[in-house]
Amino acid sequence: MRSYLSLIPISAKVRRRQNRMTLLCIIFSVFMVTAVFSMAEMGARMEQARLLEKHGSLSFQGLFSSEMGQSLILIAGVLFFLILIAGVLMISSGMNSIVAQRTKFFGMMRCIGMSREQIIRFVRLEALNWCKTAVPIGLGLGIVTTWGLCAALRFLVGEEFSEIPLFSVSIIGIVSGIIVGVVTVLFAASSPSKRAAKVSPITAVSGNSENGKKVRRSVNTRISKIETALGIHHAASVKKNLILMTGSFALSIILFLSFSVLIDFVNHLMPQSAAAADISISSSDGVNSINNSLADTISSMEGVKQVYGRRSAFDILAGLNGDTTLSGTIDMISFDDFDLECLEKDGMLQRGSNLSDIYGNSHYALATWDRSCSWEIGDKILVGDEELEIAGLLKHDLFSSDGLTGGKMTLIISGETFARLTGETDYSLLMVQMERDATDTNVQAISDTVGNDYRFSDKRDEQTGGTYLAFVACVYGFLAIITLVTVLNIVNSISMSVSARMKQYGAMRAVGMDDRQISKMITAEAFTYAFWGCVVGCGIGLPFSKLLYDFLITEHFSYAVWSFPVSLVAIIILFVVLATVLAVHAPTKRIRNMKITETINDL
Amino acid sequence: MNLLEVNHICKTYGSGETAVNALKDVSFSVPKGEYVAIVGESGSGKSTLLNMLGALDTPTSGKVRIDGKDIFTMKEKELTVFRRRNIGFIFQGFNLIPELTVEQNMIFPVLLDYQKPNKKYLEELLEVLNLKGRRNHLPNQLSGGQQQRVAIGRALITRPSLILADEPTGNLDSQNSSEVIALLKEASKMYEQTIIMITHNNSIAQTADRVLQVMDGVLTDLGRCRE
Repeated sequence: MRSYLSLIPISAKVRRRQNRMTLLCIIFSVFMVTAVFSMAEMGARMEQARLLEKHGSLSFQGLFSSEMGQSLILIAGVLFFLILIAGVLMISSGMNSIVAQRTKFFGMMRCIGMSREQIIRFVRLEALNWCKTAVPIGLGLGIVTTWGLCAALRFLVGEEFSEIPLFSVSIIGIVSGIIVGVVTVLFAASSPSKRAAKVSPITAVSGNSENGKKVRRSVNTRISKIETALGIHHAASVKKNLILMTGSFALSIILFLSFSVLIDFVNHLMPQSAAAADISISSSDGVNSINNSLADTISSMEGVKQVYGRRSAFDILAGLNGDTTLSGTIDMISFDDFDLECLEKDGMLQRGSNLSDIYGNSHYALATWDRSCSWEIGDKILVGDEELEIAGLLKHDLFSSDGLTGGKMTLIISGETFARLTGETDYSLLMVQMERDATDTNVQAISDTVGNDYRFSDKRDEQTGGTYLAFVACVYGFLAIITLVTVLNIVNSISMSVSARMKQYGAMRAVGMDDRQISKMITAEAFTYAFWGCVVGCGIGLPFSKLLYDFLITEHFSYAVWSFPVSLVAIIILFVVLATVLAVHAPTKRIRNMKITETINDL
Repeated sequence: MNLLEVNHICKTYGSGETAVNALKDVSFSVPKGEYVAIVGESGSGKSTLLNMLGALDTPTSGKVRIDGKDIFTMKEKELTVFRRRNIGFIFQGFNLIPELTVEQNMIFPVLLDYQKPNKKYLEELLEVLNLKGRRNHLPNQLSGGQQQRVAIGRALITRPSLILADEPTGNLDSQNSSEVIALLKEASKMYEQTIIMITHNNSIAQTADRVLQVMDGVLTDLGRCRE
């Protein structure tokens, strides 16, 4: 040993198991930041390559001066800070427990002459020592994951990602990974190191450091059973730990709620309709002039998966709810069966709608809707001398650009009902979905069949399915990692908390606490963190998600209204419960398998 | 009638060349109400023996009977409940629960049994242990002697037939030591309890009804000293 600091690697070797979780937290933080920044750089490079190809020269200056490049870096920057916060929370809670466990050790160090400054330096360097292993592993994982993601985007998603670079290394990713690793560790170590320095040398010689802790409030044993009361008290009495644990639970919940808004946003931006057409054929004059036999002709052609059409009638005189003077006007559009089914698949119908009434020759219709509309399900509409009943409402107006009805009702009815009411059987719009393996020749054949009588448009390039999938996969992937890290952190913190109280649990077992009571006590402690995490997480996350929703979605799609995400909150609570149960399992088992005499040296 | 019967207890740690025989064929019995002191040097096997008597550890071979029951034939849960109701422990380091008050620490084994403590008995114990004025204090607000008195209260609350104490005065000054021993004896006499206590202090050992010595894992009965 050359100096007292040589103790650090020795101590790291001895305490490998206790440090494992903290190491994992650092690895994950570094990994996430490296992966996020590397992906952002790859995205920007792809955009640069695309622009170079488009403009044919180096008119594009700098890698990140494009709008897309900048927004990618902005997103990566926000994620960087979120990961930094999560990392600091996790590593710091882990380190706090480690320091708490080693009070006696630091007392002894003070006894044999280590100064406060030396203790602070010792704890900081010990934390930095973890970076030596954790940062390279995190960087490696981040780089390999980036390669995997790029390959997946290039080969599985294709489309605009077909130019994304493979096996490239992002310097920005690596540098940010290293920074996040070192900065989180230094931030996280600052408070525990000061705490370690405050340990009095007496704790080493008194041999009773646990009783020396400043417990200010006693346990309330009147409300619940003793083991539950003690568990809750263990969680609530150490304020710092409670804040850190609640914070990491809450941060994950806030991220979960915010990211789900992002997915909603993409759903509005790139609606993925089951009825999205690859080819559309519309009448040149805007009336129902496409011969209905064309649908049969096209559907029998090679490469065609589905053909469905719409007929329309505008400004039809109608009377709402007993108005026999037909003072208003409505629009009517017919949907073929496949088109109607897709409305339900896409979740376009409001609760209480009954789609099955619409099919065939019927007296029912679906109506477009927005918040300003007065009509509701069950209302009757007089069209000519026939009365139609509203069997369902759409969530917004499919046929207007802003999703609002502007006070005008549009009825969706079946082809048969339309024919009965108007006497027209020809289409105004015909849509075709192609098979996955359909070729350009197949499409050309359809175009030839259609001829010049109608407007033919090939919309295959407008499909956003790939981009949508890539975005959703990235968001869920990021969420999965955040979730994994939170679970690891919770498991780690509970395990640390149990280790710190091992002697106390030993004494409790010696005086008659059984295994079930021990489990209940640890479970109560874990659930206290989980409960407050849920309260704080939902308390901040829900208003934040509404704010984000209003800002991102309602601002641009005025028909969209934020509603309380019941199922999402239920999933979060279920997940938190599962994570907590998982966190309790291992330490409880550890105590159960440990002899009482091992946990208590005095008897 | 013997409350405690120890028959041919052996405890070996490790195996082969590294095997350590901590206890070698230990046998003895203790009648109800007797106050026994165990003496011996550090590492002689005293604590290992006491761990066996309190069912905190299992012997390699041999039997321990408390009140006629072979404790090592019991299942873990049964043994825990048996320990909770029939054996009181007093540790050198007190091992009180820091977040429980004096009163809560004392009634802790009763609470673990989901029972209500006998208020009259609790008051009596607080009185005997001179803790009435401290009942709502937390352990960190008490002196070492007071903390050990709380531990004695905790050991007595279930009126166990056997009290095991591992150097209960090890962390106390001489005045507190004699006070604690006097209290322990008085309480056990009052409630007819058997005490087995490890001590390094000869003058405390002298106050016992009988002294057992453990040396290199072998137990020797040094006989009665108070007569």
